[in-house]
Amino acid sequence: MGNKQKLKFEFMRGFVAIAIAIAVAFIFIFICADDPAKALNCLLIRPIISNGALNVSSILTILGRMTPIIFTGLAVCVMFSANQFNLAGEGTVMAGGFVAALLAIYVPMAAGLHPVVCILVGAVVGGLLMLIPAIAKVKLNASEMVCSLMLNYVVLYVIMHFLSNVFADRSQGSTQTYPFLETAKVAKMVPGTELTWGFVIAIIATILVGFFMYRTRWGYTIRMIGINESFSKYSGMRVGGVIVLSQVIGGVLSGMGGAIEVLGRYNTFLWKDLPGYGWTGITVAILAKNNPLAIPFAALFIAYLNRGCELMSIYASVPAEMIDIIQAVIFLFFAAEQFMSKTRQKMVVKETKEELAKKQQEAAVEGGNA
Amino acid sequence: MLEQIFSMIFTTSFGYSIIRITSPILFAALAAVVAEKAGVTNIGLEGIMMISALFGVLFAYWTSYWWVGVIGAVVVGIILALIIGIFALKLKTDIILAGIAINLVGSGGTIFLLYLFTGLKGNTASLTTPGMLTPKINIPILESIPVLGPIFSGHSILTYVAFILVFLVWVLLYKTAIGLQIRAVGENSNAADSVGISVLKIQYIALGISGALSGLGGAYMSMYYSQSWNTGIVAGRGFIALAAQAMGQGEPLGTMFASLFFGFASALGNKMEGMQGFSSFLVSAIPYVATIIGLILYAATQVRRVKRVKNNGKKKNAEAK
Repeated sequence: MGNKQKLKFEFMRGFVAIAIAIAVAFIFIFICADDPAKALNCLLIRPIISNGALNVSSILTILGRMTPIIFTGLAVCVMFSANQFNLAGEGTVMAGGFVAALLAIYVPMAAGLHPVVCILVGAVVGGLLMLIPAIAKVKLNASEMVCSLMLNYVVLYVIMHFLSNVFADRSQGSTQTYPFLETAKVAKMVPGTELTWGFVIAIIATILVGFFMYRTRWGYTIRMIGINESFSKYSGMRVGGVIVLSQVIGGVLSGMGGAIEVLGRYNTFLWKDLPGYGWTGITVAILAKNNPLAIPFAALFIAYLNRGCELMSIYASVPAEMIDIIQAVIFLFFAAEQFMSKTRQKMVVKETKEELAKKQQEAAVEGGNA
Repeated sequence: MLEQIFSMIFTTSFGYSIIRITSPILFAALAAVVAEKAGVTNIGLEGIMMISALFGVLFAYWTSYWWVGVIGAVVVGIILALIIGIFALKLKTDIILAGIAINLVGSGGTIFLLYLFTGLKGNTASLTTPGMLTPKINIPILESIPVLGPIFSGHSILTYVAFILVFLVWVLLYKTAIGLQIRAVGENSNAADSVGISVLKIQYIALGISGALSGLGGAYMSMYYSQSWNTGIVAGRGFIALAAQAMGQGEPLGTMFASLFFGFASALGNKMEGMQGFSSFLVSAIPYVATIIGLILYAATQVRRVKRVKNNGKKKNAEAK
């Protein structure tokens, strides 16, 4: 099958997967909504168009919500490309956000510099955390998956300890820190919305990660390890170092995402549970087929659905958690290599037959000439 | 302070709570053992426990028989594991991703499913009928023995099932034909295939068993441990079970000891929570930190063992020359 054919098939398959997920959503909506038509309207149309006009504030919200999941999506993308099933995205997002928040509250700095320092430190913390599962994997062959899952909970409880026992603002009703210094906030791109300049940083990060994965030796090694680790080892690549590198990059990206999200969206640190961006990042990376440049589009799709589910829960009393079921269905079908394999088979057979017929014709023509 | 902790550990109620906390982890860890033996990693344990815990409570509430709830939870567990199987084995989704998808449904989707079936949001605390929780069992003679009685008697019926299952899973894996096939498939699926074992069928069976076991774990959580279902009910126990399986070297007995270790760490955490000068949050982190350390220590011993075997081999070679 030619490259073009392959791409066409992949698109078709992705489309069918999404269609199945939406169909599942329809079924659930018809069972549980009082007014299914209204619920569907909320899910699909209202995020961008309401009352016949473009819903600008909702569109900007969607763009704003894309920011953290672009970062975690990129992080997962790099780690999964090297076949490292590191699932500590959740923990590193929270850790990056928390450390950045502390710097934003307690360390006064110049206006332009402050958020930059906070974000960079958040990124470094994320990267350092990932060293634990990465080194355990490379040096001791301990499962990075189990290790990273445990790490999430350790990070959660340690942060909760510091949040509620050390840094809590006692004057507030709920557990939260003191407000950030004004200088530390990631500025809004459009005032009064959730869209911050973090979105631009996310897009820049996408381009950088794309360049790294496809245009540098390190990126090539990461992808090679993902395809065949033994081959990479025997052809002299430094597999161990690159496996660690891939997970550290993952940690840096998600730590950065956490920092930007916290400083851009909130005035104070108030996460009391793992934020969920790590898992959403996995869905995003699957949708993007581990291609960094496709991550923003996948993130847009998920953010759109998320917004739709949110509106649906407000206006049509369908719980917003339906998004998780939709995500799971898309996830399963998108990652299924053999899904629609019969159709692919048919496409290949058809193409080959056409080629054969063409060759025979040519041969016949040549025969006639001679 | 140490004295305080010691005086706490050496009580019968502490022993009792270790067993109580270990049971759900043990169910899921045994589920991981069976799946891993067949060469499939079932990371969806967390989600399966979550969903079957929900349906266990619902079935028990609807029928007001606890055993219907337990059977319902097991059936739901099997169905979910087979869904993972169909996607992973037939449609070639990476099995870890298939498991993560089930976990997604488990974490958020359950809230939606709960609303769909009952109209409730977030927990089932308001759903109570007599007879829907699994009964506690007092073991006749054991009960009256001092020390042992209060520790081992008076647990939920499912607790005893969990520990009996350790033995049953061992029998299944090492004393039955199907167990041999499961191990053969996990060891080398090509070799197993070449002697006529249907690899896919065996992997489906192993996944089904692992789904049933984690379904029991879910039922234990919602129908005994927490007495109702809520969104944070499983709290990573499915993941801890994976760690227990790894530390127990994939063997039923070793996995039981690893699970008991986590049970011990959690029980200690629970006890320390009430004490002065301890942060309840840091104490909650203990089992997870213990898991990471345990996993790393276990992996380190494995690496050293491999090195020793290699060195011995080299020595022998040198001597032979």
